[in-house]
Amino acid sequence: MFQTALYTAISLSILGLLYQVFCFVRKNNAFEGGKKSAYGHNSKGFFLNTLFQVKLFNAGKARWLIHFLVVSGFLYLLIIHALDDVISFHWFEYYQPPLDPFQFLRNLAGFFVLVGGFGFLFRRVIFFKTLQERKILLKGLFSILLILMLVLSGFLLESVKILSEPVFTQMVEEYSDIDVGEDLEDLKVYWEMQYHTVFNETLVVSPEKFENGKILSESFCIDCHSPIKSAFISTAMAKGFKKTGVWLNQHRVDNFLYYIHYFLALLILVSLPFSRLFHMFLIPVASLGENLQKEHFDSNQGFVNTATLYACTNCGFCSDVCSVYPNFLVTENIDILPHSKIESFKHLLNHTPDKPEVLFRLQSGNADCTYCHNCTDICPSGIDLQNLWATLNQQLALKGYPDNYTFIRNKSLKEWVELAPEDEKVWSTQKVTTQLADDVSSFENCVQCTICTNVCPVVEHDGVDNDMTPQQIMNLLRLGKKHLATGTRMVGNCLTCFSCQEYCPQGIKVADIMLELRNNAHVRADTMKLENLTNKRDDK
Amino acid sequence: MRLAYFPGCKIPFYLKEYGRSFEAVMGKLGVELVSLPFNCCGYPSRNKSLEISVLSSIRNLALAEKHGLDVITPCKCCFGQFKQAVYWWNNHTKLKVKIDALLKKEGLAWKGKTQIKHLLSFLHDDTGLEKLKQQMTRQLPNHKIAVQYGCHVLRPFSITGFDNPYAPQIFEALVNMTGLKTVEWSKSTECCGNPIYETNKKLSLKILLAKLRSAADSGAAYICNACTHCQIQYNYMEMEQESEKFNITPVLFTQLLGIAMGLSKKELGIKDNQLLNL
Repeated sequence: MFQTALYTAISLSILGLLYQVFCFVRKNNAFEGGKKSAYGHNSKGFFLNTLFQVKLFNAGKARWLIHFLVVSGFLYLLIIHALDDVISFHWFEYYQPPLDPFQFLRNLAGFFVLVGGFGFLFRRVIFFKTLQERKILLKGLFSILLILMLVLSGFLLESVKILSEPVFTQMVEEYSDIDVGEDLEDLKVYWEMQYHTVFNETLVVSPEKFENGKILSESFCIDCHSPIKSAFISTAMAKGFKKTGVWLNQHRVDNFLYYIHYFLALLILVSLPFSRLFHMFLIPVASLGENLQKEHFDSNQGFVNTATLYACTNCGFCSDVCSVYPNFLVTENIDILPHSKIESFKHLLNHTPDKPEVLFRLQSGNADCTYCHNCTDICPSGIDLQNLWATLNQQLALKGYPDNYTFIRNKSLKEWVELAPEDEKVWSTQKVTTQLADDVSSFENCVQCTICTNVCPVVEHDGVDNDMTPQQIMNLLRLGKKHLATGTRMVGNCLTCFSCQEYCPQGIKVADIMLELRNNAHVRADTMKLENLTNKRDDK
Repeated sequence: MRLAYFPGCKIPFYLKEYGRSFEAVMGKLGVELVSLPFNCCGYPSRNKSLEISVLSSIRNLALAEKHGLDVITPCKCCFGQFKQAVYWWNNHTKLKVKIDALLKKEGLAWKGKTQIKHLLSFLHDDTGLEKLKQQMTRQLPNHKIAVQYGCHVLRPFSITGFDNPYAPQIFEALVNMTGLKTVEWSKSTECCGNPIYETNKKLSLKILLAKLRSAADSGAAYICNACTHCQIQYNYMEMEQESEKFNITPVLFTQLLGIAMGLSKKELGIKDNQLLNL
């Protein structure tokens, strides 16, 4: 039965893996107009990041330690303990699970995993609020709990086996020629005292019996059994369970725990391609690809290897160093932060058009990126995040989510004014402006002398493409046509060089007003976009 | 002297050589640069929201103040944005209340002590030309060079307080010290076009082209920049070289200064095939 279950689990796991690869390829083909050629290989990063998690080490030492404890402990248990039938018994001539150093190392490895796993959970508790805000509180919890349960069930199993009389009897029958009578009783005395086995009967203890038991143990048992104290965790647990030992033995709890332990191991195997654990394959993939450099950056956007997206472990380091974190503080649009953009990017690739707001927020958040490379530099998974954001911009534009400049430019002024929404709030907290465009005193002194227009580089070079001049914008304000002014190309193209303001003989803050109008235009454009989306959905 | 170094967002990826040469030159002058976990200065966000841009700046200044440091930046747009933010923070009560509340949430507060310096005004006013002269070990050849002032340090003067916005002279004074000869050119204080490069590339490059033409007319062999965005913009001129060829090389002021101070090309992030004549 165990064999059948194992092969089923392996088959399911492999099928899952193939399915995921199939999905990655399909999603890769969905990129429109992307170029794949610019990717070089980074074999050094591949080795260092896969074997030693170097980028994680650089990002945060404590978290690297937690990760290292879990990985090293788990790997040891996987290779030496779980796969002992195919590995340990062949590699080590004298391998027996209860024999040192294996018994000790098994406990040590389990201890590593427990410390690492609980360290992981502990961090979640300490940073509860931040992680909840960032919507990553529960991410990856399934896998770590599974691993913890596996290791805990292993320790429970070992400790119950230590206490187990049925296991003792079975072993005696199998590996010794002691039948019944005094010898068996002496062996029991010795094992009760040295190995903490719990027997149903009350044993009479004497130094002679103990000595005889010791001789018997040395001739039949010691080849496979090191002193029990090297199993330092299981022994400590066994001592704690000693009082319930008889009950545990009667109900053969050891067998029950064995099923649980085995089942959990198989569950991890099956869930591997679909859980957080998949990152162990995807991070090497992501680390192998070279991050795009400046020279190729602008000309090679438009494609990302989807598999690298799923190498993200939601660790949140990127958002800690994100240059535009203050933008998030003001707008509270979480899709400004890289860790969240990745999640939303996955939505985009998974075709979830029933939530256009998600993509709208993603576009708005992604537009704030300054391409400072901080997130890419720190990403412990080695994902080329910066390329991701540039590609995301392109893909969103292709899917009908343009940036605000393009959105406004593609509207005629007539359309812009007619469509303008009554109520302008998208980002609820974004309300404070320079308060110049609504204040008559800030522009009423304009004498239309055209000096601002004469020094404006946009007017000079944009020719027929430009619609209004700075002094005309001031005039529009005087006519109470602020909403019209926000949609003009002059406002959209203003370089903010402040020449107009510096040269204005009337001391009017022309450039500051331009910027305020542009701020207004952004809010208006956002509102219009969102209204369009909601209307579209309601029509359906 | 210790200063918090504010590189801005573009140096780490787009213009590493500026950061490198800036650090080298400052090191030579005995200035200790401290790296703090700064965020964006807020310059790109000011198109979108005054609040975001001012919060971004003030948050950085609060961080520097916490460490008891003044801030120095080699980027003129960052400098200008910082100055603007300080102005609005001081003169817009409603905004100030809001920004302070947001900072408080993070356990930060700005009392307004932090000074913000730009590379050029720092060299000119704080270090002083005399001391700078002492550090120079060689004179560069007297090639003609045009200096790009950059709008965001110059204007509005009432806020930036950098130099006379109509006839500035700081940059020329500093460049002339290296031995190079600055030229008069009509568009020296005009915008390079970079602020709208992302949104309106065509117009942005058109403005750049006009500047290059004006500099070429004055006979300059180099255009000297002391601003991240300006230098990035002039590097785009390669794209426009097909229509009109200019024999002008954009160069970073820190690299020129570094060469004059006897620093090696490697220390200044200059590639082997660049600036061969200097």
